[in-house]
Amino acid sequence: MLRFSVLFALFLLLSGQAFAQPLAKKVQEHHLKNGLTLLLVERHDSPTVAAYISFRVGSVNEDSRERGVAHLLEHMLFKGTKTLGTKNYQAEKPLLAKIETLGQRIDFLKNRPDTDPQQLKQLRTQLVRLQKEHRKLLIKDEFARIYAENGGVGYNAFTTKDQTTYLINLPANKLELWAAIESDRFQNAVLREFYTERDVVREERRRSYESNPDGMLYETLLATAYEVHPYRNPVIGWGSDIENLSLVETRNFLHKYYSPVNMVITLVGDFDSAAALELVTRYFGSMPPGVPVPPVVTREPPQDGERRTRIIFDTEPQLMMAYHKPTMPNRDDYAFDILMQVLGEGRTSRLYQSLIVDKQLATQVSVFGAPGSRYPNLMVIALTPRQSCSCVDVEDVVQAELAKLQNEPISAADLDKARKQIFTSILRSLRGNSGLARMLSSYEVLGGWRYLVDYEKQLNSITAEEVMAVAKKYLTTANRTVVSIGREGLK
Amino acid sequence: MKRIGFFCSLLLLLVGCSRIVAPQQVRPDQLSFPKLHFSFPTVVKQQLKNGMRVYLKEDHELPLVEISLLIGGGSIHDPLDKTGLSELFAATLETGGAGDLSPLALESELAAMAAELSVSSSTYSYSIDMSLRQQDLQRGIEILADLLRRPRFAEDRLELARKQLLESIARKNDDPSSIASRLLAEAVYPHHPFGSFPQAEVVRSFSRDDLLQLQQRYLHPNNVWIAVSGDVKQQQLLTLLKQNFADWPAVEIAGQALPPLPPPPTARIIIADKDISQSSILLGQPGIDKDNPDLFALRVANFILGGGGFNSRMMREIRSNRGLAYSVYSYFQVGRRLPGLFVAGSETKCATTAEVVTLMRQAIALMRDKPVSAAELELAKRSLINSFIFAFNDTHSIVSRKLRLDFFAYPPDYLETYRQKVAAVTVADVQRVARKYFHPKQLQIVLVGDSRLFSAAVSAFGLPVETVELRND
Repeated sequence: MLRFSVLFALFLLLSGQAFAQPLAKKVQEHHLKNGLTLLLVERHDSPTVAAYISFRVGSVNEDSRERGVAHLLEHMLFKGTKTLGTKNYQAEKPLLAKIETLGQRIDFLKNRPDTDPQQLKQLRTQLVRLQKEHRKLLIKDEFARIYAENGGVGYNAFTTKDQTTYLINLPANKLELWAAIESDRFQNAVLREFYTERDVVREERRRSYESNPDGMLYETLLATAYEVHPYRNPVIGWGSDIENLSLVETRNFLHKYYSPVNMVITLVGDFDSAAALELVTRYFGSMPPGVPVPPVVTREPPQDGERRTRIIFDTEPQLMMAYHKPTMPNRDDYAFDILMQVLGEGRTSRLYQSLIVDKQLATQVSVFGAPGSRYPNLMVIALTPRQSCSCVDVEDVVQAELAKLQNEPISAADLDKARKQIFTSILRSLRGNSGLARMLSSYEVLGGWRYLVDYEKQLNSITAEEVMAVAKKYLTTANRTVVSIGREGLK
Repeated sequence: MKRIGFFCSLLLLLVGCSRIVAPQQVRPDQLSFPKLHFSFPTVVKQQLKNGMRVYLKEDHELPLVEISLLIGGGSIHDPLDKTGLSELFAATLETGGAGDLSPLALESELAAMAAELSVSSSTYSYSIDMSLRQQDLQRGIEILADLLRRPRFAEDRLELARKQLLESIARKNDDPSSIASRLLAEAVYPHHPFGSFPQAEVVRSFSRDDLLQLQQRYLHPNNVWIAVSGDVKQQQLLTLLKQNFADWPAVEIAGQALPPLPPPPTARIIIADKDISQSSILLGQPGIDKDNPDLFALRVANFILGGGGFNSRMMREIRSNRGLAYSVYSYFQVGRRLPGLFVAGSETKCATTAEVVTLMRQAIALMRDKPVSAAELELAKRSLINSFIFAFNDTHSIVSRKLRLDFFAYPPDYLETYRQKVAAVTVADVQRVARKYFHPKQLQIVLVGDSRLFSAAVSAFGLPVETVELRND
């Protein structure tokens, strides 16, 4: 959903303003010998630091047997290390091995038609007993405790198609605490309590997708619009994927990808840059470099005809439409930034005016790029029809607005407005330390912040004719996917 | 010492030291930290002659200005036969045009400036939020003045806002967690604004006159509090505000009594059947208001019970130990005037609903029955105290928080004494307040999901069970 390409505008935008030069100068980029990238921005307004660690790996890098593993690993990396989260790792080890063997056996048997259910039940009871015994050796959630008692807030992580990010905000005097914990976490992680956490993730999936009409609609849209490319799969994995992920796969994913060459650390806040560089070098500098995440070679074939899906769900109707499009830094992607802004951003946008104000066929509309930015992605139009209106009527109006974009160049005023809105929304995202850290981190992971030098020039050079040309080229019936959700019998 | 160490390692880097010595993994408890320097940020407060209060904090890092207004009023004053009126008022104020500007002209001008404007209604106030580029400040304030002093409530936009509200009523049963919240509020607050939700026929009956009456009642300078942060000088802002608001006369605003709360209900289970794979669970009962002397002890108690994320008992047992849920939490909705709710919530696959409810009830009971450990108390207190500085992490939240604390008449030293009050809480305090405020006999248990999979199990609790049919009217 994030339009990362838009973020690139920041520094050029800044450079056009009086305050710009100093802030742009504040961003320091360092590369450790082992390939780790470090971005630093000093801000001394409040005695706090936002610390982000991102890896250039996400669910797009999974193969079909390990869907969901990037996200499950993210959960598992909250479970401690050889020295944190345990009373005695040596004593824990044999028990961990037993649990793993038993878990593998259960997973093997549960999918076989000839398995004796009594035997399975017995093994599961045995697993629960072992887990209980194991818990006696644990110091539960010790990372969380240490960060909390030291005043940390927003201790979290997220996995997307393209990246995985671990974040925390801390009082400025605790930066070394962060370095000690995080360097330990990525070098000495112990993936304990695996089978329990797998159940937690299964519940997360029920919550965000299976019981949630928005999640269900979005997930189905991606799986329909993409047939081949891994962007089609939910980051969290499908239900049976999660239920069958193994510790071996999870551990392999960690060791294969979580290394300095794929790692970006971003610190924003109240610290001295030289000291921060020294600190990061001291704690992370000895990690072996590792191998870069290989690019995904699977290419989505051009869509050769409209795709339509209907989901039956206990909800009022909703609708999503999607068109395949290129991603950054393709020039057409900049034109799409303008196009999407004009089409769906704010109350004066074309779809809002026609669908909600004039014809009153819908109550909500939004237009966004999804599901990632590293590989060709989609322009998505999400629509909430009014009760009395059918999805078909709403679609017709959208088609008419898209046709207008294909046939008439947008006005100079609209082009100006779109640019100004995009630049201003970027400014707004810079307000907090955490917002700035998130932006720099995501941006660096996707391609490096040097690309930004081009962005404003690019966006400003996009003409109304080019916007019209991308509308013609991509917003075609054959390139369209339409998915709706609602109760049975409704149109 | 530290300095010297730092320069040495810098020197090593400069000379291209090829081998960085890998340190033994440092345990966090081996570290010591420098003292943190923190002082309370200052906020400029002014009052115009007509009573309008102004709060300002300059911040020149970005060329943006943020404006937040609080206006006395809100949904607590909606009569029971007009539930939803305050919401419609806010929506029509936002979209209905102002001064010489038609709705579309106003929206177009804001869009051309890349400005953001929103009006919303909450329990005790209306809020207006505006975000502007610094160079548009003057025009932004003029538009704000039009909106407050000369709103148009254009008929066609009133109808549009009404339709939008009707649509949200029609969709009230789409999302299981919002169904559960609604059922809980209805259960605890019958015949009270807190437990009332807009009905279609009522919303259809609202007239433009109803909105004008709210305008006449609330939109006066002495009822408006404005917080500004960003790239503006104090003098410039005051001049602009005076130019646009000085001739706006104050009007005495009649005090309105708050509708008294109904007596606490007795414990029961409320079930709404919905065809989904996971049930939404909410436990709730009447809670406290901000003037409650036990506020800080309850904050600490709730951190231990379900407010402290992974450091809370509910999260540890239900998620981390048993894998039964992704999210489980508890909180006090500290009422600004009337007491709010105590709520605990989770979601789990329908078949384990009763198990999770049992664990949640046990966790609440344990807070009453046994003293918390010294380590739990210490962790809760240190977390609340050490994270306090994040209340001042963002310029606009500093100034708008200050305004809100004054608006709701918090003690003037509320922030300054916050950490001391947390520090003073003892193990005995926690058990005392747990006994005083967690009432198993009042606890409402709301369950939304596939009831075939849990209704038999929850009936074993021995509590009365009510079934609510979800109708889309």
